[in-house]
Amino acid sequence: MQTLSRVFTATGLAAVALLFGLTASPAALDVRGAVAGQQAPALRLPTAEGTYLSLADQKGNVVLVDFWASWCAPCRHAFPAIDQLFVDFRSRGFRVIAVNLDEKRQDAVDFLVARPHGIDVVFDPRGDSARAYGLTGMPSSYLIGRDGTIRYAHAGYTDKVLDAYRLEIERLLSEPAGGEHTR
Amino acid sequence: MTRTGRTVLLTVAALAVAMWTAGCATVQPWERARLANPCMVFDYNGGQADFASHWQSAREGSSGGFGVQGGGCGCK
Amino acid sequence: MQVGEREPAPAPRNRWRPLALAGVCVTATALVAAGSLRGENILNIQFHTFQDSRGVTVLEPIVDLDKDFTERSGLRVKFGVDAITAASDSCARCHADGANSQRTFVNVDYRRKIGDYKLDVGGQISRENFYAADTAMVSISRDLNKGNTTIAGGYSFSLNQPQLHPTQSVENQYAHDLFFSVTQTLTKNTILQLAYDYNRVSGYQSSPFLRTRVNDIMVVGNTPDLRSRQAVVVRLRQALPGDTYLQADYRRYFDTWSLASNTFSLGVEHYFKPSLLVGFTYRWYGQTGADFYQPSYTGNPIYYTGDFRLQPFNSGTYTGHVVYTPAHRLLDLLPDKTAIDLQYDRYQASTQFASSMFTLGLRIPL
Repeated sequence: MQTLSRVFTATGLAAVALLFGLTASPAALDVRGAVAGQQAPALRLPTAEGTYLSLADQKGNVVLVDFWASWCAPCRHAFPAIDQLFVDFRSRGFRVIAVNLDEKRQDAVDFLVARPHGIDVVFDPRGDSARAYGLTGMPSSYLIGRDGTIRYAHAGYTDKVLDAYRLEIERLLSEPAGGEHTR
Repeated sequence: MTRTGRTVLLTVAALAVAMWTAGCATVQPWERARLANPCMVFDYNGGQADFASHWQSAREGSSGGFGVQGGGCGCK
Repeated sequence: MQVGEREPAPAPRNRWRPLALAGVCVTATALVAAGSLRGENILNIQFHTFQDSRGVTVLEPIVDLDKDFTERSGLRVKFGVDAITAASDSCARCHADGANSQRTFVNVDYRRKIGDYKLDVGGQISRENFYAADTAMVSISRDLNKGNTTIAGGYSFSLNQPQLHPTQSVENQYAHDLFFSVTQTLTKNTILQLAYDYNRVSGYQSSPFLRTRVNDIMVVGNTPDLRSRQAVVVRLRQALPGDTYLQADYRRYFDTWSLASNTFSLGVEHYFKPSLLVGFTYRWYGQTGADFYQPSYTGNPIYYTGDFRLQPFNSGTYTGHVVYTPAHRLLDLLPDKTAIDLQYDRYQASTQFASSMFTLGLRIPL
């Protein structure tokens, strides 16, 4: 019985030490991703055709930058919904840049071929843009106002997020394209 | 403490330290393609795991130890 | 099924009733599932069959429904029935024509996300001819480090009540269980889990069905009233090149009855096509006996047992499984990405006991 309680105590202490170590480790602290109010980090990535799409070219439009991958289940649900948002709002100056983060291009291509879409898809297999935006989860999306600043950021995808997008896009589209905030 | 008990504890402690130091190398959310596969999920087929633990406890003297999930795609 | 322990029944039962019950449950859950659907929700229907060298056959249908209700909450309900035909020796001495038995269980788990924590609260009720078990459980988990680390812990309490067949008296057994686990993603291809489990059982822990020989007289066993059990588990999942995955588990178990065991398990899974997964696992198990275990007893022993689970032995289990996810909707009825899984297990112990198990499962995403 004494042996048992010693084992129990020692294991318990080891567990506490582990917990403390894990939470105290610098890697455990969540690094904040790109947040609302910041200028959106630059993006310049290739499309499937090989041409380059750049975020800077979209200044004056409201842009949804959506980071996704074919292996991520919520991303797969989000894709057609985001395509529908583009259809609904494009005439008012709304654009989507869907940044694919699959390491294997073929996985993304297989997914896209089965889903006709109107949104622009660009590819970043090394994840440099994801690093620049400081993603903390998949999927992650950033709604960027006409002035090029991030206005709303979302991690994850649910019906509620979709409803939020609609409200937020409406709000951003109704803003004039302010010219004075060049940063 | 018995020799076996000490060995087990030392092994667990060593693994714990290894895991803590490994925690410094973070896998980013967009690098989790293979981690998202069901084969990487502990007890993905929970029903099968329950059935196994059921017939094992009806035949063997040991029990327990198989805990809770983690890992996977990390999707929000 | 509590093989060899709680099998005898007063009269043969209708073997189709458990299946009918399962059928009703499937329909009911299908109706529930017809509402708004999204996320990782799933309906899992499994049929397990078990046959062993003692002549026991079990058919166990289980229905498992898992559904998210909101972003932050979900529910899991499991319902299962074991239909046991028991011709084992412990039953045969009184029931020469064999005896059937049935075990029914319901398990409910409610999960909720509270800030960065996930809380699970649940319970299980299980009933069979001469045994009732009620369990309440709670567990909590948290992700750290961008989802690379998961810490979890939980507690459960069980009240188990065996009836001392053929008498009417009922005994009580109380079990407390505490577990703690850490799961760490080590690389893009590797996950490691460490877990610790502490279990404390008090009360009646013998069996009215298993007898042993004491001074040449067959008697029901007498075991200590307290058993503290501990297990430490290490589990690894490794993604290998070529759509292959490796699974390795080790458990070290020991308790205050001096029973200690090692369990090693190694498995490989491979996708021959994205829709076809084939896997093979081997599990080796070895245990010492309980300190008071003997094949037969003489003199005046305080504790004695006929429970075969307390003897020293080792065993090997070979498991093969296939998961097939057809591209086209099954029966034109079931949702896309419904999967069929088949599993065969062959168990062989050094005590000459052997059993075969077969499972057919249907995983229906909701």
